[in-house]
Amino acid sequence: MEIQFGIETEIGITREHPEGLDVVAESIALVRSATAPGVRHCWDYSLEDPHRDMRGFTVGELRQDTDESNYFALDSQRALTFHEIKSDLVLRNGARFYNDHAHPEYCSPECSTLFEALQQDYAGDTLLAACAKTMNEKTNNPIRLYKNNTDLLGHSYGCHENYLMPRRLAWDTLCQGMVAMFVTRQILCGSGKFGWEEEDRFLQPGFQISQRSDFFTEMQSVDTMQRRPLINTRDEPHANAEAFRRFHVIIGDANLSLFSHYLKIGTTAIVLQSMLNGAPLERFPKIEDPLSTLKQISRDTTWKWECRTTEGHATTGIEIQRQYLQIAREYCASEPADWLQLLNDWEEVLNDLERDPMRAADRLDWVAKFRLLDQFREAEGLQKDDPWLQSLDLSYHLLDHEQGLFYGLMQQGSFRLPYPIADLCHGRLTPPMTTRAAVRGYCIERFGPAVELTQWDHVTLRSGDKRIELDLRNLFDVNLIRQSLKVIGAAQTVDDLRYLPFAKLV
Amino acid sequence: MPDRLQKPQPPAPAPGDGGGGGPKAPDVTKPNTDDLLKRMRRVDPEQAKRYRQRTGE
Repeated sequence: MEIQFGIETEIGITREHPEGLDVVAESIALVRSATAPGVRHCWDYSLEDPHRDMRGFTVGELRQDTDESNYFALDSQRALTFHEIKSDLVLRNGARFYNDHAHPEYCSPECSTLFEALQQDYAGDTLLAACAKTMNEKTNNPIRLYKNNTDLLGHSYGCHENYLMPRRLAWDTLCQGMVAMFVTRQILCGSGKFGWEEEDRFLQPGFQISQRSDFFTEMQSVDTMQRRPLINTRDEPHANAEAFRRFHVIIGDANLSLFSHYLKIGTTAIVLQSMLNGAPLERFPKIEDPLSTLKQISRDTTWKWECRTTEGHATTGIEIQRQYLQIAREYCASEPADWLQLLNDWEEVLNDLERDPMRAADRLDWVAKFRLLDQFREAEGLQKDDPWLQSLDLSYHLLDHEQGLFYGLMQQGSFRLPYPIADLCHGRLTPPMTTRAAVRGYCIERFGPAVELTQWDHVTLRSGDKRIELDLRNLFDVNLIRQSLKVIGAAQTVDDLRYLPFAKLV
Repeated sequence: MPDRLQKPQPPAPAPGDGGGGGPKAPDVTKPNTDDLLKRMRRVDPEQAKRYRQRTGE
C-alpha cells in the first residue's frame, strides 16, 4: 500500500440545557480541558493555504471566506489571542486536537495500516469523551458531544478523510474513477439519519442512510463549507508537493462503528491503490447524474439503490460496489494480508446488504441505528414521523459510554470488530509506528517543552539560541523512521536531534 | 511513497503517564437489552429541537 491516511472529525457540541450557549466558548473550553500529553499553541498556521486547486490554479477566494472573516471578527472580540481561540494541542500520538471555529476537532495522525487507523480514531473518541466527563464533574448542566454531521436544521459539519498518495496518478483520472465510489459507498459507511435536509433547512422527517448526502451540490470545487463538492480539489499535500498529493475527501459520515470506519477508509484506499497499480479508467463504473443519484440512494428505503450508468444501463449501488471490489481484487492481489481480508469483509457486507440489509446491523452504523430505532418505534407505538426519533438519532452519536446509544449497543456485544478490542485499546496514547507521526509524537514526548512549531510536515524545536527544524516532507521510508526513533530515544538534549538526516539548524 | 511498508516494530516510546488520554476498552460485560431500552426511554423527545450547531466544513 503506497497510501497513508488520516481523518479529521468535527464534533457537535452542546449542553443539556443549551439556552444562551456560546458554542465557540464551549468548544474552546472542551479542548483546553484535555489532560492528554502534548504541546499547546504550537500549530504553525503560516504555511496553510486552502486556496490552491488540484486543477493547476489558485482561487482568489473560497465561498466560506466571508463567513470565516465574520467569525474571525466575532472571535476577535473575545479576550483571547488567535492561538488561544484555536487552542491547538498536538498529542503524543501525533494527532491534532483543536477548536475549529465552533467545533472541537480531532485529526488523527497519519496511518499506513487499517489497524492503526482504527486505533487512532478510537483514541480520539476516548479523548473527547474523557474531556466531556471532566467538564461535567462540577455542573448540573452537562456538556454533550456528538460524533455526527448535522443538527438536523441544515447545518452540517465534516468528517474529512485524507489520502496521501504519489502524485503520478493524473488528477483527472483519479476524479473520474472515484465519482461512482463516493456516490455508492454510503451503503457501507453511512451513519444513518432520521430526517431530510438541505443547506440551512430541515425538509421533512424520514430515514436515509447518510448524514452528509443532503449537503453536496457540486461535482468539483475547492470549497468545503458551502455548495460542497463530491470531489474536493484542495491542493495542500503537507508533503513534498512534487511527489505527493493529499486527496482530501469531504463526502463521508463520521462513524462510530469501527467496522463502518474500517470499510470507509479501507475500500477508498484500496480503490485508489488499484488506480496507482494501473487499473484502466474504462474499467471503473460511471454513474448518471451523480449528484441526484447520491441523494436518491441515501433516501431509498426500499434498499434497492437503483441507478443508471452513463450508458443508460440500469444498475444498483451494490453492483457498482461489486465492480470496484473486482478491480481491487485484480489490481491489489499482492497487498498484505490485512488488505485481502478487507476485500473479503467488503464482499461479505455486500452479500448481506443484497439478501437483507438488516443482516449487516452488527457492522454498519446506518443499519444498526435504523434497526434499533425502528424496533423502539414499533414497541412504543410511534409514528414514522415522530420527532422523538430525531432525538434518539442524536443519542446514537453521543460520546458518552453511559448514555450514548451506540455505546449501549457496543456494551451488549452487538457489534463485530475487524480487530480485537483489546488490541485496539491498549490503554496508552501512542502514535502509528509506520509513519512520520511517530517522529512527531516521540519528539513531543521527549522534548515537548522545546517544541515551538508543529505542522504535519515539520517540527521546530528550540535549542539554546538555535532552532532545529525537522523537515518531514519526504519522511516515508519506514527504515528511516525506525532509525530516527532510535536517535530521538538516545538524544540527551534537543541539540542531539540535529543528527537526524532531515534536521537543519535555522 | 517510495518504499513499501513492512510494518516494522521500532522501539516504542518509554512508558509514561497516560495523562487521561489513553484509550481503554469499553465495558462489554453488560449484555442487557433492558438497559438499552431504559437508556432509550430516558432520551428527551424534545432534545433534537434544542440542538443547533454552526455550519462547519
